[in-house]
Amino acid sequence: MRENQQRRMSFMRSRKLTASLLLVLLGFSTLMCFSTLANAEGLTLNDSDVISATGPSKEDIALKGDAGAEFTGNVSDVTVADANKGLTVTDLANQVGQNKIAINFVWTLICGFMVMFMQPGFALVETGLIRAKNANHTMMMNFMVYGLGLFAYYVCGFAIQMGGCGPVANLGGLYPLNGEHVVNLFGKPWGLFGTKGFFLAGSSYDVGVMVMFLFQMVFMDTTTTIVTGSCAERWKFSAFCVSTIGLGAIIYPLFGNWAWGCGWLSQLGVNFGLGHGYCDFAGSGVVHAVGGLTALACAMILGPRIGKFNRDGTPNAIPGHDLVLVLAGCFILAFGWFGFNPGSTLGASGNGALRIGSVAVNTMLAGCTASFSALLYMWMRYGKPDASMAVNGMLAGLVAITAPSGFVNPFASAVIGWMAGIFVCLAVEFFDRVPKIDDPVGAMSVHGVNGIWGVIAVGLFADGRSNYGGSWNGVAGGVRGLFYGDASQLTAQLLGVATLLGVVFTLSFLWNWLVDVVVGQRCQPKAELAGLDIPEMGALCYPDFQLKAQEYVATPHTSGVGAPASKF
Amino acid sequence: MRLIGVLIVLAGWAIAMAGLFLTDSNSVRILFCLGGISVSLFGIFGVINQYYLARANWKK
Repeated sequence: MRENQQRRMSFMRSRKLTASLLLVLLGFSTLMCFSTLANAEGLTLNDSDVISATGPSKEDIALKGDAGAEFTGNVSDVTVADANKGLTVTDLANQVGQNKIAINFVWTLICGFMVMFMQPGFALVETGLIRAKNANHTMMMNFMVYGLGLFAYYVCGFAIQMGGCGPVANLGGLYPLNGEHVVNLFGKPWGLFGTKGFFLAGSSYDVGVMVMFLFQMVFMDTTTTIVTGSCAERWKFSAFCVSTIGLGAIIYPLFGNWAWGCGWLSQLGVNFGLGHGYCDFAGSGVVHAVGGLTALACAMILGPRIGKFNRDGTPNAIPGHDLVLVLAGCFILAFGWFGFNPGSTLGASGNGALRIGSVAVNTMLAGCTASFSALLYMWMRYGKPDASMAVNGMLAGLVAITAPSGFVNPFASAVIGWMAGIFVCLAVEFFDRVPKIDDPVGAMSVHGVNGIWGVIAVGLFADGRSNYGGSWNGVAGGVRGLFYGDASQLTAQLLGVATLLGVVFTLSFLWNWLVDVVVGQRCQPKAELAGLDIPEMGALCYPDFQLKAQEYVATPHTSGVGAPASKF
Repeated sequence: MRLIGVLIVLAGWAIAMAGLFLTDSNSVRILFCLGGISVSLFGIFGVINQYYLARANWKK
């Protein structure tokens, strides 16, 4: 009995001892964990930590190859500043920084190449929508905007637009572009135009500036190509050349500076407390509305094509000659738009650039919903799903989402696109019926009307979730529109629209009026009836085809842009 | 006629900008903007375009 009691006591003692040991162990391990965490937070890396880092031997790789990609790209690929010193932490940090800028350079350049590839898209859409007898003329206008526009932009356009854009962190600084001409009015600074970067000479001979130039140049090119559509089939080629140079050299860069180059519109937030100032992520206003309003000015000066309107003012639909070109061109444009909008982050690394995924999806959604709503509108109104208006619907949606793509959520994108599809149909009918302005491809409706819609949409739908490095246009926080609590952003956007209509249209009109007086904008009626390929260009686009000298068709349903004639 | 139209279009922009200086109220500034945009549109379609419409080729 006593023996049993002793055994129980010793068992109890051993249990207490075990429990105490466990507690000590637990406490010790907790302390270890905390000390490890504390060390991790204050982790420091010294040259001595990295100097011994070695990669696989080059001999090994040379003998075995690297089919599994296990060795290619390793510590031996890091550039070392001083070979005698070996790898240092500074070398590593420099490599990380250079990698970030390299990613952004490559991203921006590839997106720029994609935007450049939109040129054949525009060319195909426009040429498909006009008659075969003018195909060479229209293709050549779309071809030459590249060369003419580029030259004008290289000489002075880029400097006027981006010469004072200041540091752009994603592209490594762009410090040479630091010359904005500012005037002080009413106690506020008003940035008017840039002064650095003419001919890309002097200090602007800089790798980051070159990337910026290429990307901005192809955007300007898009603007100039919009005008060729609305003026097709009656524009003198020489007048087109002069008009395009003026647009690329002065008019586009000026508004581009005000919106993107640290000009006064972008500073409305800083100077007047209007949201984040005028916000135009990828250019609904800067690119498309400027192009659309210039197209409007030119189309008014040129007047309608012979046969577009009857004596009583009723319009005739003049169908294009190749819907295959139109639809294929539209898909090329939709593809290029993935460079246009996501590329406008100017980077894929740092400062919120990972929004590229969101921007791309927004772009895709708006194009699709707009195409669908335009198709549905035409089907319900005219009884057939019109192909050319489905194309214009998709383009209208893409135009409209261009400004908001970086600031809105996918649902808002779908709504913006849906509205754009309806707007483009209504606008085409409006221009035909009310002001009776002839626009063979619907450029004013697609780019002008929906460019302005896109600018306004930022002021309505921006959700404040975008955070590009903490601020936009110098104002901290994300951009929020009226529906997300910031009505002042809508005011900034409306001021942008007022500037587009009041200043950009005026400049475009005056410039093209001058061209009309000096060069003459419109070709001879005889040449127009025969088709401009021979009189203007000296060669037929389709020499083996028999073309009709004059052809305009009024049918209940057509695939030409413009509302079916039977409805009027 | 065209020059008058151009001046009206510019006046529309001036009206929109005037809102920045004449008031601090955002709602009133929006009204100034909408008024200015309307005036500019009138200048474009109601004046400049009317000049060209009066001389349109389909009327001859």
